[in-house]
Amino acid sequence: MRNRSLIAITAALAAGALTLTACGSRDDGKGKGSSDGGSTVVTIGVDAPLTGELSALGLGIKNSVDLAAKQANKNKEVPGVTFKVKPLDDQAQPSSGQQNATQLVADKSVLGVVGPLNSSVAQSMQKVFDTAKLVEVSPANTNPALTQGEKWDSGTKERPFKSYFRTATTDAIQGPFAAQYLYNDAKKKKVFVIDDKKTYGAGLAGTFTKEFTKLGGKVVGTDHVNPDTKDFGAVVTKVKAAKADVVYYGGEFPVAGPLSAQLKKSGAKIPLVGGDGIYSAEFIKLAGKNGEGDFATSVGAPVEQLPSAKSFVDNYKAAGYKEAYEAYGGYSYDSAWAIIQAVKAVVKDGKLPSDARAKVTEAMQSVSFDGVTGKVSFDEYGDATNKQLTVYKVTGGAWKPSKSGTFEG
Amino acid sequence: MTALLEVEDLRVAYGKIEAVKGISFKVEAGQVVTLIGTNGAGKTTTLRTLSGLLKPIGGQVKFEGKPLGSVPAHKIVAMGLAHSPEGRHIFPRMTIEENLLLGAYLRSDSDGITKDVERAYELFPILGERKKQAAGTLSGGEQQMLAMGRALMSRPKLLMLDEPSMGLSPIMMQKIMATIQELKSQGTTILLVEQNAQAALSLADTGHVMETGRVVLSGTGADLLHDESVRKAYLGED
Amino acid sequence: MHELPQQLVNGLLLGSMYGLIAVGYTMVYGIIQLINFAHGEIFMTGGFGALAVYLWLLPEGTTMWLALPLMIVGGIVVSVTIAVAAERFAYRPLRTAPRLAPLITAIGLSLALQQAVWAWFPGGKNSRTFPEIEAGPYHLGSVTIQSGDIFLLAAAPICMAVLAYFVRKTRTGRGMQATAQDPDTAKLMGINTDRIIVIAFALGAAFAAIGAVAYGLKYGQVNFRMGFIIGLKAFTAAVLGGIGNIYGAMIGGLVLGVAEAMATAYMSDIPGMSQLGGQAWADVWAFVLLIVVLLVRPQGLLGERVADRA
Repeated sequence: MRNRSLIAITAALAAGALTLTACGSRDDGKGKGSSDGGSTVVTIGVDAPLTGELSALGLGIKNSVDLAAKQANKNKEVPGVTFKVKPLDDQAQPSSGQQNATQLVADKSVLGVVGPLNSSVAQSMQKVFDTAKLVEVSPANTNPALTQGEKWDSGTKERPFKSYFRTATTDAIQGPFAAQYLYNDAKKKKVFVIDDKKTYGAGLAGTFTKEFTKLGGKVVGTDHVNPDTKDFGAVVTKVKAAKADVVYYGGEFPVAGPLSAQLKKSGAKIPLVGGDGIYSAEFIKLAGKNGEGDFATSVGAPVEQLPSAKSFVDNYKAAGYKEAYEAYGGYSYDSAWAIIQAVKAVVKDGKLPSDARAKVTEAMQSVSFDGVTGKVSFDEYGDATNKQLTVYKVTGGAWKPSKSGTFEG
Repeated sequence: MTALLEVEDLRVAYGKIEAVKGISFKVEAGQVVTLIGTNGAGKTTTLRTLSGLLKPIGGQVKFEGKPLGSVPAHKIVAMGLAHSPEGRHIFPRMTIEENLLLGAYLRSDSDGITKDVERAYELFPILGERKKQAAGTLSGGEQQMLAMGRALMSRPKLLMLDEPSMGLSPIMMQKIMATIQELKSQGTTILLVEQNAQAALSLADTGHVMETGRVVLSGTGADLLHDESVRKAYLGED
Repeated sequence: MHELPQQLVNGLLLGSMYGLIAVGYTMVYGIIQLINFAHGEIFMTGGFGALAVYLWLLPEGTTMWLALPLMIVGGIVVSVTIAVAAERFAYRPLRTAPRLAPLITAIGLSLALQQAVWAWFPGGKNSRTFPEIEAGPYHLGSVTIQSGDIFLLAAAPICMAVLAYFVRKTRTGRGMQATAQDPDTAKLMGINTDRIIVIAFALGAAFAAIGAVAYGLKYGQVNFRMGFIIGLKAFTAAVLGGIGNIYGAMIGGLVLGVAEAMATAYMSDIPGMSQLGGQAWADVWAFVLLIVVLLVRPQGLLGERVADRA
């Protein structure tokens, strides 16, 4: 009797937990079969964190890809082809990302994937996609090694995966751009560098530090934080004691927000600066009024200011998505559009070639169009040729563009 | 008049092993009744069942005419049945006084409790001298005194003592037995489980000899003390 | 080293929070030898309970001095309800089952609670901002106490004093001690041990809820995963202090908190250790400390040897 109720309860709890988990990833289970009433169906996969702390960014990516597919279908961008979107949730975990990659590869109608958000997740997916010759375009990965190989820093650039492209600009540009802005424009000379030890955060902190010291600035302290912690009391005390006049944080907003708040509350009235990982409305929410005056760099010109982006913003609003398009919306739209263009290049009379995936990947290399974020095309490593960046500053509780420019190394 | 405690065909098992196989006996108010027998005869099991720590698989127990069948242990104490367990089981990390107060856990008459604590110290002066000492630091005999004193704190109608002399020096054993004698003369009803048959039977009005879960012999304390088979088996005589 | 006082305060504050949560682990373990791994999530639900009161039960703009007591009550109600229900429906039926069964149940429950908040609390998929106390910061020499810390600073000692009084001086408290030391004999005293176990769960949950309000005020946010790491840390604190001992839980929490702050602040200054310092390594050093303490004193700082249990 006791034993039976034990099993029943344990099973019920386990099942309960599993069902709830599963809720998040069951958004669109269909999309099988590549023919739909005479028209060819092409699925664009999306992999991003749709749940968890980074879901604000992930949902923006998903919605923007969805918008691109809808626009393409509406305007008959590729005659005879209907685009569908298959979003999967990676929870910002490399292991989930790899599972999703396998799942997308298994779905024969998938001819391209937009995502992921995190560089660390991308590392776990690249090989899976490359083996299947399935093209992947990330709107957000900024780690240089993803396109230029592990030895990019020492000058030996080698592209590891031919199927990986990105519309985002890399840390190799973003970090130094922030360093130049802080040193030359904001006149900050003493920086305390903190990162979260993840691929993205550590990479950004590294390229920033290199450029900042090269310019003549001083790194008065460094620390690494655990992204699962919210107590930065000890760290901010160190920052204060080091008399830094600015903190550079390599990482994402779930840590950066509380870190900024705790920094200001401790009495260190210095700005926190980060990359596009903190360029989110969530950052301002988490930091509260203490986030005022903090900086973030983000790739490209401000979406709202580009004439090419105006229709994107309008259409996004008109489509009535619940979540904002966030930092990567424009890049996600462009990534999806790049896949659509590559598909367009290989489709003949509404029919796909037999080795569609390989052909699409090949076609991606020469895709070129005017997108939401400017001119979209890729260099020999699969990186965006558009190297424009913008510094944003929290002003009046919102991110306001402070300086836009093109990085020259 | 009904007996204070009536046990009828009581059967208790641990899993599939039956430890008590249908025993019956009575305890009248004011009596001292003893259960004697070797290790494993089922004496302790019987007491633990009476106080509700174990559930019987058959038979009936009535206390003051009320069946105890499914009453949980903590309510049986409230009915007036106190149990000083085998191995004493005092609360080692609490003081002597705290142990005694726990014996009166269900009482709310603080004056009466204070009086009874004093009475326990009169009965066992050594406890009174060390009331703030942690009970775990007492000697075996002192712990036994504490266990008995604690059981008395609930003002029981029936006091069950399980092996009060176990592991004690002869002198200490005599002291404990003298205390039981004193309690008896004060009119306390006692159900005593002992391996030391000589001492137990000398005290008891009635005795029951248990062997492998059954009562094999019953009689007055004096009768059993002079019974030949009892003398052979339990009193070490040839 | 002029930052030392501040770092000590940082550590003590963090440690107080560990201690508040650790009390729940230690009381339940002390009585039924169950490691209630869902306790971190009970802590988390307390934070959301308090937030729910603020968001939906109080008129907008209610001053924090009025709102805070009500939020604490709300948090406690939610945490205690969940803890008591868990005890009644998940753990009690398993009381006599092998040890692993309730342990696995606790892990399942912990996941279920996380997912429930994630799925059903409005906006629960992201961090929710927690209201702030508009006060401070206060400066005492080189030490800064932030507004969010004041609550913790006051609540932790008060809670511990109340708990100590309860356990030592009240009848139920003595019944709890007795049940922890010898459950069967406690029943012979007339103690309803089932009720005592429920009280232990409820008290632990109430402390966790107060800890969760402190967490919200200190860090300005609550989220559905907040109980996991901090729950592990609090459990560590309970073991460090001697599991089963309520004072040990608080001491263990404080030692752990200070150790983390010190490791973050100074470990990288030791020659040759620059790679092993910083906040990310503080957790590692905290566990190194735990292992060292357990090697020297397996029963924890204030724990008693179990031998006298007979």
